[in-house]
Amino acid sequence: MKGYISTAVITALCLGLFCGFPALDNQAMAQGNKAAASAEPRITVLNPLGNPPPVKLKSMAPRPASLDGKTIYIVDDGFVGGDNLLLEMVDWFTQNMPKTKVVFKRKGGMGFEAEDPQLWAEIKQNAAAVIIGMGH
Amino acid sequence: MGIPAVPLVLSEFYKQETEAALLKGMPGLRIEWVRGPVWGKTREQLRRDVVNGISPISKKNVMQEIVEHLTKPLTAEEKRTGELVRDKGPATFTDTPDNLQKMFLEKRWTDFLPVVLPTEEKVADMLKGTSHDPDEVVGKMSPTNTGGYFEYWTFTVKDVAVNAVMAGCKPEYLPLLLAVASTGKEAISVSDNGFVGALVINGAIRDEIGLNYEIGALGPYAHANTTIGRAWSLIAINLGNCGKVGTTYMGTVGNPMNLINIVIAENERDSPWQPYSVRKGFKPNQNIVSLFEGWGVLSAKNWRANVWGKEMNFPKIIKDIFITQAPFLFGATAVLSPPIANFVKNAGYNTVDDFKKYLMEAPAGQQPWFQPNAMEIIVTGGTNNNYYSIGGLMYLQSVEIDKWR
Repeated sequence: MKGYISTAVITALCLGLFCGFPALDNQAMAQGNKAAASAEPRITVLNPLGNPPPVKLKSMAPRPASLDGKTIYIVDDGFVGGDNLLLEMVDWFTQNMPKTKVVFKRKGGMGFEAEDPQLWAEIKQNAAAVIIGMGH
Repeated sequence: MGIPAVPLVLSEFYKQETEAALLKGMPGLRIEWVRGPVWGKTREQLRRDVVNGISPISKKNVMQEIVEHLTKPLTAEEKRTGELVRDKGPATFTDTPDNLQKMFLEKRWTDFLPVVLPTEEKVADMLKGTSHDPDEVVGKMSPTNTGGYFEYWTFTVKDVAVNAVMAGCKPEYLPLLLAVASTGKEAISVSDNGFVGALVINGAIRDEIGLNYEIGALGPYAHANTTIGRAWSLIAINLGNCGKVGTTYMGTVGNPMNLINIVIAENERDSPWQPYSVRKGFKPNQNIVSLFEGWGVLSAKNWRANVWGKEMNFPKIIKDIFITQAPFLFGATAVLSPPIANFVKNAGYNTVDDFKKYLMEAPAGQQPWFQPNAMEIIVTGGTNNNYYSIGGLMYLQSVEIDKWR
């Protein structure tokens, strides 16, 4: 019996050696890291960004009180399939706002980002408002 | 024009177009946000989903909101004019290295990998790589290259040096990076195509700075290739405002090559043809970097037109692959290893132009599908096997490196 007790004590001590000491080590390491972190030197680095230009704010165009009796342009910028949506919008205006005249136009120029000064001039002369789309 | 307008934009582009409106001077621009994509759908589908549907952003009926946008009186904010000055922030930041790494990451000044922190000392050391004044303006950059959509940001020699430090570059790489940056070409385009940038480098500088043009030439297997490619992306991110997902980056599935781009030092030693830069009109002893953009390249073995056999006819295989490439927009570029290039040369194509003429010959009764400027041939890589890559890369321009020394 005495032998069993001795064996158990020795086993417990050994477990302590293997398990307890690493726990103590972890605590010590944590304290050491904390000390090291607080002592970590501060350095100065440069801002890596380029320089954005200032933005010139523009007022939006004044709005009419109503579209009744007005002409609006619906402009297709040329992206594939956009005309399907815009023609549906033309139909919507015809059915729901018959007092508004709708003109459908396809923007000219190479590509959907290109300007079309001729169309812009026409819109400026004839339109009270414009809806333009549509990418993707 | 002074006419009330409502642009129609997919709601997926909300962040991007809101920022674009700000940059154009109308931060509150009345945009109608619709559910996309629109193309590929019938009118009936679009009537149901969009015209009679609701905006994914406002949850209001699309058409009623459009009418409201066109008729509702402007607010004081919408009438505001003047100048909105934007500041890039403090010139320097002071903290522990760990905290600074964290800050750079959170501010999205990195490629999500740790960077070399750009201290004054490291940047000063980097600036030894050029004789140019640190405050000299190098150029301007925008996420769309043309600048027509997003604004251009300007940057100096020192700004490029800061980003070169962050990428881990050596001072001797700086003239090459300044040459690239001076073009204003962004490595990371906003396009939903997911484009990648590519550089082709010719001249003695390849050996001077240790660019790899042998085995693994297109990969991250040399310090110069890897860090120069990475620096170009960091320059785009920080000096051109590129690569911000949702605003200045919209690549639908993305492109892993954006991390270090495609840096190609041509293997002039083992190529049977004139260096690429010479074919572009420069002298053989000039250090030149040529810029490209496109979807990238992958092994020519991926195409069905490829064949495996005891006896190979590489000119025909390359032609068969080119036939499958889209001849518009970004053309096609072949990156040939020296064994393939020599095979082609020994098949009777003494110059690249001779080979291009053969590639462009359309089958009887068909129109040629390529223009000469939509087709590029570059030689690099090892001599250990008959491998090569082809893909969509478009040549943009070539610039001298030495004027930035």
